[in-house]
Parts: sequence; structure tokens; C-alpha cells
Amino acid sequence: MRSKMMAAVTVVAVGALALAACSGGGSTAGGSAGAGTSAAPITLTYWAWGTAQEPMVAAWNKSHPDIQVKHTDAGGATDSSAKLLTATRAGNAPDASVVEYQTLPAMIVGNAAADITKYVSAAAKGSFTNAVWGLVTFNGAIYGVPQDVGPMAFVYNKARLDALGVPVPTTWAEFATAAKKVHIADPNAYLTTFDPSQFGGFAGLAQQAGAKWWSVKGKTWTVDIDGPESIAVANYWQGLLDNGAIKSEPLLTPQWNQELNNGKILSWPSALWAPGVIYGVAPKMASQWAMAPLPQWTPGDSAVGNQGGSAVVVTTSSKHPKEAAEFAAWINSSQEGADVQLTTGQYPASKLGQAAAEKSAPPKLMPQQTDFWPLASKIAANTIPSINWGPDVNVASSAFQDAMAKAIANHTPLSAALIQVQKVVVADMKKTGFTVTN
Amino acid sequence: MTTQDLNPPSRRRRRRGTAAPYIFLTPAVLLYVCFLLVPIVYSIYLSFQGLRLVSGGAFGHRQSTFIGLENYATALTDAEFLGGFRRLAIYGIIAVPLTLGLALLFALLLDLGSARAKRFSRTAIFIPYAVPGVVASLMWGFMYLPATSPFSYITEKFGWGTIPFLQNPEIFSSVANIAIWSGVGFNMIILYTSLRGIPAYIMDSARIDGANEWQIATQIKIPLVAPALVLTGLFSLIGCLQLYGEPTTLAPMTSTITQTWVPLMTIYRDAFTLDDLPLAAASSVVLALGTLVVSVILLRLTQKRAFGDD
Repeated sequence: MRSKMMAAVTVVAVGALALAACSGGGSTAGGSAGAGTSAAPITLTYWAWGTAQEPMVAAWNKSHPDIQVKHTDAGGATDSSAKLLTATRAGNAPDASVVEYQTLPAMIVGNAAADITKYVSAAAKGSFTNAVWGLVTFNGAIYGVPQDVGPMAFVYNKARLDALGVPVPTTWAEFATAAKKVHIADPNAYLTTFDPSQFGGFAGLAQQAGAKWWSVKGKTWTVDIDGPESIAVANYWQGLLDNGAIKSEPLLTPQWNQELNNGKILSWPSALWAPGVIYGVAPKMASQWAMAPLPQWTPGDSAVGNQGGSAVVVTTSSKHPKEAAEFAAWINSSQEGADVQLTTGQYPASKLGQAAAEKSAPPKLMPQQTDFWPLASKIAANTIPSINWGPDVNVASSAFQDAMAKAIANHTPLSAALIQVQKVVVADMKKTGFTVTN
Repeated sequence: MTTQDLNPPSRRRRRRGTAAPYIFLTPAVLLYVCFLLVPIVYSIYLSFQGLRLVSGGAFGHRQSTFIGLENYATALTDAEFLGGFRRLAIYGIIAVPLTLGLALLFALLLDLGSARAKRFSRTAIFIPYAVPGVVASLMWGFMYLPATSPFSYITEKFGWGTIPFLQNPEIFSSVANIAIWSGVGFNMIILYTSLRGIPAYIMDSARIDGANEWQIATQIKIPLVAPALVLTGLFSLIGCLQLYGEPTTLAPMTSTITQTWVPLMTIYRDAFTLDDLPLAAASSVVLALGTLVVSVILLRLTQKRAFGDD
């Protein structure tokens, strides 16, 4: 009798637990709460990564009590965009999300990013230059509000380069000489590392060399990942790897961070957001690093590509697109938003932010470089209008990572890896049903 | 007389009794249907779909359409997916025998009457199993990276350079090591429990007959725990086929582990990075069927041996 009661109680308890688990597991980013009454504050959900986001959201929440935003960090660029596509298919994507410029076309094709042309006010339009709006405009429609841009720059360990007597390179030829010199002076040190998984970085370098990886005319796409300019860039880095002047290693691993801290990796050709990242893993190196313009192929040139940089999109699942677009425009173009961006190391996309940048203190990594921001605005003014990113950048990125890693492991040419990436990308676009010329 | 008296109450008792099993089964059945059956059926349905452009234009939308067996054809001819199985085989040949062998060895040693510090040893051997997979992989990752590895530190001090844990082909033993370290404890407990279940009189009579401990172990204990060995072997094999956590956690630390190093990583990449859920569903079905076939073969082969003449 008693054991039957115990058994029954256990069953009910387990059943209740199971049902609770069933229902609780659902949404980490459940859609907006608006129950239709305009009196209650509308809650928006916002996915974003990086240290700048919480303060920006807090600033908005303080000044907009009727529209409150809940921020979630859904992981870095690749994780977050993968989750966004899945969440869209499940119908419970957040109202707004940060998306890198290179992933934006895939979000449009995957029906995750909504067209917000009609929600962008004239004031918001005027906050960004036309070139910057070009990063988020496709077929005449606006799909997001730019948040930050990543003009490429050369961030280097000034103290060590000076100690080794190596001048700062202004051309890629000088870079090659400098790399050899560094390695001869200290066999354990390398001017920089080549990370086969850095698709965005390589794309920016190819853009600087004149390549246009995707272009669209009307309805037809042209893919040119293995064009002569990109192959030249691949062969350049191949040369450096072959004679041991640089080595291949994944970025930002505990090993890479340690080598950075010990002065064994002396530079990172990347973008204006790099000082913040390096400071995050090597705070003790403050005032030893500096920023210079990225080396050029032709002496005297100054154009550079973009690496990274992101926009805030309003998702198609959002029930409050107007408010979400308002939120996106505000955090990306208000004074408060710009202030947060600058203190956390983002280079703002807005005109206001970039003007404020010129007057602010240099990043924590290089407090001694007082001309950091004026130099940064000069670099930003010289960025090549962005490459058209294609609808399957994620496929290209994945193929690039694997092909490059394999080429380095098997000592086969990096240019062959690029040709492989081209093949995979074109095949995937044709399979999905796009019209591709080549 | 007695049967007449007992009939009505026993019929009543039987009717009351028949409802209880079903009530107890309901939660399990519900969970099984919700979390196993429905997703499996949905995956199979999904594997026959494909995302294709429907609205025109350069930025048209992709929609789900029926494409028949195309995903299966792609999965079965994908060099990367099949290559993943090859790498799994190399990993499995290292990991499975070592895990089971060490688990058996520890279980036998602990079962010896003369073993000291039994409780401490049992706990110490089992603790690695309690460490979550990702934490274990991260920790071992630190120990493998040349710059942070204590082992490489020692060999460097001796002038032998760093140990290439994360290069080919050492990467296989490095990943296997993490799995062995985590898995030995669990398997050892199962085998030890099975050993404890052997009646003591068998061992006593063997000792009387003059057998030493080694002979008892190899000729009495191991054959008698064969069912448990088959069980742990099957679990290890299935776990090997589903290898995912360790390589994924180590992947950012080394270029040797590609995104398609093992089949489950390929499936993850297809599903979430390439946004091709149907292809991933088809690959999952292929993997599941393969696992089923391997399990059935293993059980058939060991049936007579392990389970006697049932």
C-alpha cells in the first residue's frame, strides 16, 4: 500500500519535471512581449557580441522608457549568424541582431534580415555617408543600420621592432624584407602569423589588391575568388611561409596569446578594431604597440579594404520592426552610442562617431600614439567601397578555412586552395539556383 | 471451493492491476515520442527536402522544396564526409581497445583481495569521467599547445624540442587520449560491478585447485564478465562513431583539425554554418543507419560467446 503510494508520487513528480523541462527548453530569445497595448513598454530582444553592446543598450534603455531592449550575447560573428538563420526558421529570432557586412547577403537570401528602407528616417540617413550606406544597401533596399567599420590597418609591436632595428614597412615588399630580418635577428620571433581560418582578413587583402570576389549585374552573379589579383596575394604569403619568415598558426589561441605577450609575434595586419582585441589578451603590452597604415602594393598608394565591421539588422521575425529600426539607428548614430563605441575600441560607422573619434584619447593599447585617431580617419577615408559580398559567403568561408589549412599542412600552393574555394562557391550557387556567369 | 472464493476478488485485483503499468510507462513513452520518435521522423522528412531559390533576382529567397534522394547522393559521395569515417577508424583503433583494456585492468586489479586503498583508487579513476567534455578538452588543449604545455616544457629543458601533440598524425592519439582519460572510469565501474557479481566460491575452488591470481583472472574472471565487456564495447563503439565534442573544442587551437574532421562535425557544419539542414539530416540518417549496422554486427558476433546459449 505504502510502496504503491510512493511509486505514484514518484511518477507524478517525474512527469511534472519532464513537462516543465519540455516547455522550459523553448526560447532563449523569445520574440517581443508586446501584447498590443501601447501603454505597456515594448520589449525588444537584441543579439550582439562584444564589450560595446551592454553599455549601448543601457544608454538606450535609460533614455527610452517606452521601448526597453533586452540584450543577449549569442556568440561571435560566425556562431551568432548561424543561430540567427536557425532561429528565423523556428520563427523566434530576436527583433534586432548584429550581423557582419560579409554575412548580410546570406541573411537576406535566408530571409532573416528585413527590408527597413521605409523605417529609416531622414535624420538617420544623414548620419552616415553614402559609402557607408552602400555596405547595407542591396538592390536599392536598406537591410540594416551600420554600426562599425573595419578599415584595415597595421598594428605592430613598436618597442620590439625598434629594438631589432627593423623599420616599419610601408609596402608589401618592405614587409617581406622586414619579416626576414625579424626572423634572422631572433629565430623564435615572427613578424606576423598566417591563420588559414581568417577568411575576412584575406578577403580584405585581396580587395586591396584589386580583386572583386562577388559582383552582380542585374540577376547574374560573377564569382572571381581565384582571379589574378587574389592569386598574387596568395603567392605572396606563400613565399613568406616557404622561407620561414612567418609561420602559420591559429589566431587568439592560448599559444598565440602567450607568444604575443612574450614578444614573439610582432604584428597583426588587420583592422582598426585590433587594438581593443590585443589589449584584451595582452594588457601588459600597453604603450609598446602602435598603429600604422597597412603596407601597399605600390609605393604611394593609400587605399585599403575592410575587415569585419558590422551592422544592426531588423529580423523578419520581429513584431516591432519600426521600433527595432529606431533602436538600431539610435545606438549607431547617437552621441551616447558613439561614446561607448570609442571607449570599447569600435571604430564607429556614423559621421558623428568618426568626428568624435578624432577628439578622443587613443586606445588603451597605445596611449603613447596621440595621432591614432587622426590617422584612423585618414585611413577610413581611403577605404575601397566595399566588395559585393555574395549570397553564400558562409560556404566560401568554410571552404576557404579547410582548403587553406590543408594546403599548409600538405605544403601545396595556397593559390590551389583559392581555386578550390572558387569551384565550391560557384557549384553551391548554381545548386541553389542562382545564375552565375562562370 | 477455494477457487470459487478467490475468483471475484482476484478478478477485481487483476483489473485494478492492469492500469498501473501503463500509468508508469506513460512519462517514459511521452518523452520517447517527443524527443526521439518525432525528431527522427522529422529528420527523415527533412532529408528529402532542399533549399532552392524560388523568387527570382540576385537576392531571391530560398525555400524548402522536395528534391528526393539528392541529399543522400551528395552525402554518400562527399569525400569529406567519407574521409571523416576513415579518421574515425584510426581514432577508434586507438581509443576503444585502450579504454576497455585499461578499464578491465583496473577493474581486475581492484578486485584482487590484496588491493590497497580501494575506495580512493576507485574515486580517483572515476573522477575524470565527472569532468564535462568541453572542460576536459580545453584543459588537455592547454597541455598540448607547445607554448603552454608542461610536457613540452620538460622536453624543451632537456633540449629535445616541443612535443607535436596537435600535428598529424599525433593528433589522433591526442584526441584519443582525452576520450580514454574520460572514459576509463565509467567503463571500469561497470566491469568492476560485474566482477563483484561473480560468486566467491568459484574463485575459492580455483584457488584450492592451485590456480594463481593471473590464471584466475584470465581463465575465470574475464570469461565471466564477457557480457559486461560486450556492453561496454558496444557503448565505446557507439561513442566513437559519435565523436564530436573533443575535436570541436580543439579545432580553434590547431589547423590540423578541419571543420570536417569527423562525420558529426561535417553534419554540424552543413546544418548550421552552411545553412543546409536537409543535407545534414540526410547525413545524420546515414550515420545512424551505419551505427545501427555496426551495433547489430557486433552483437551477433559476440552473442554466443558473451551471452551463453540463450
